Amino acid sequence: MTHSLHRFGSIESQRNDFVWFIYQSKGINDADFEEKARRAIAIAEKCGSENWGDIKLGCKLKCPVNEIATNLSRQSRIRGVFTKREQVVEFLKEMKEADLGLSVIISGLLDEVLPSCEEAELAPHTINYSLGVWGKKDLLPEEDVLAITSMCGHHMIAANLVRKKMEEVKKGRKSAEKAAEELAVLCPCGIFNQVRAARILQEAAVKA
Amino acid sequence: MVQINRKLCVGCATCIPYCPVEAFKKEAEERKVYVDEEVCTNCYVCIRNNVCPVGAIEESNLDNFMKQFQHVISDPTVTSEGTGVPGRGTEEAKTNDVTGRYGRGEFGICIDMGRPGIGCRLRDAEKVAMAVAQAGVVLEGPETTPLATLMTDIKTGKLMDEALDTNVLSVIIEGKCPKEKLPDVLMALRRVEKEIETTFCLGIVSRAEQEEVSFFFETLEKLGIPKPFRGKVNVGLGRPLIP
Repeated sequence: MTHSLHRFGSIESQRNDFVWFIYQSKGINDADFEEKARRAIAIAEKCGSENWGDIKLGCKLKCPVNEIATNLSRQSRIRGVFTKREQVVEFLKEMKEADLGLSVIISGLLDEVLPSCEEAELAPHTINYSLGVWGKKDLLPEEDVLAITSMCGHHMIAANLVRKKMEEVKKGRKSAEKAAEELAVLCPCGIFNQVRAARILQEAAVKA
Repeated sequence: MVQINRKLCVGCATCIPYCPVEAFKKEAEERKVYVDEEVCTNCYVCIRNNVCPVGAIEESNLDNFMKQFQHVISDPTVTSEGTGVPGRGTEEAKTNDVTGRYGRGEFGICIDMGRPGIGCRLRDAEKVAMAVAQAGVVLEGPETTPLATLMTDIKTGKLMDEALDTNVLSVIIEGKCPKEKLPDVLMALRRVEKEIETTFCLGIVSRAEQEEVSFFFETLEKLGIPKPFRGKVNVGLGRPLIP
């Protein structure tokens, strides 16, 4: 899922943007995954995860939380977002305490994520480092558009749709928050950070 | 394949901005929308989200292997037959605390072709896969990454010829190399990035021990590659064979 790791936009706008994952490994520790996932989801909810979902069922902005939790399967992929470092630290502490044996992953700025692990008294095992975009970079859209499209893990949100939403916010036809939620429901896995998106949409409207 | 039912389409163009690769186009004469088959990746964003107000967007049969591959690889909600998990792919670093896929003295290579949001022809994926394989990357097999199902030779990264013109929203090239090969691999990527018609996002997986991280950062510095500021961190809570 590319854009859990590779996100764009200013460093400051990435600062309050964390992606969390709970992962089972097929055939190794996926027995009773559904029950363990429900416990992990409850912890994420308690810690204030603004968005999360399962790729097969959709994100919580589109599908009721209970419905997602009830319909989980052994193949479900659970992931979501936090918008504050304190949430990440609390989540890690609670997951450590729960000791589910599932892999827990946090993606974000390293100078935010690594100190969060330290605070939760966890020693990271492996890190996938982003070395950014290579190749024909002149094909990329403008930075604020890319900052929003790259919050959907599988790029299900089109640059032209983001531009349309920016225009609607700029003309006062809808609030930045409403526009951000309309974009968020297109991302089925639930790692679209609608809080950050609303901020970017609002800033773009003011700039214009 | 995504298609427009011309009898239903009213030419409102509501669907056009939703397509991540701009495959919806409007006819000049009748003002109805059509799907550019050369561009559409069958990601089904339009279908899943019912973006047409009159229901004119329809699925048609994915009547050959490459169309089916294109759909599986571009629509993250579909489970890949080979890997048994949804989407393009793999668990990479996410479950390394359980699987031990990447050990000490090894680096994982995750090349997300066509990202962010550009899409790619598999011809470009082949160029990059062959470049890194030649530089020392051992590519992942079909049981973990769908692109490998198209490879005629996993050691070289060569794809079957009939796959090369297929466009996808994205595809991942994955593998790993011993630490001494990492500089060669990064240099190979530096060369091949100039030979492709798209973009890719590059992730390098390292164990989190200080010795591994220091080697990685020193390598980047020697090659003039900026130090990364984002990372996906496996915090080490996973355990195998939980009862």
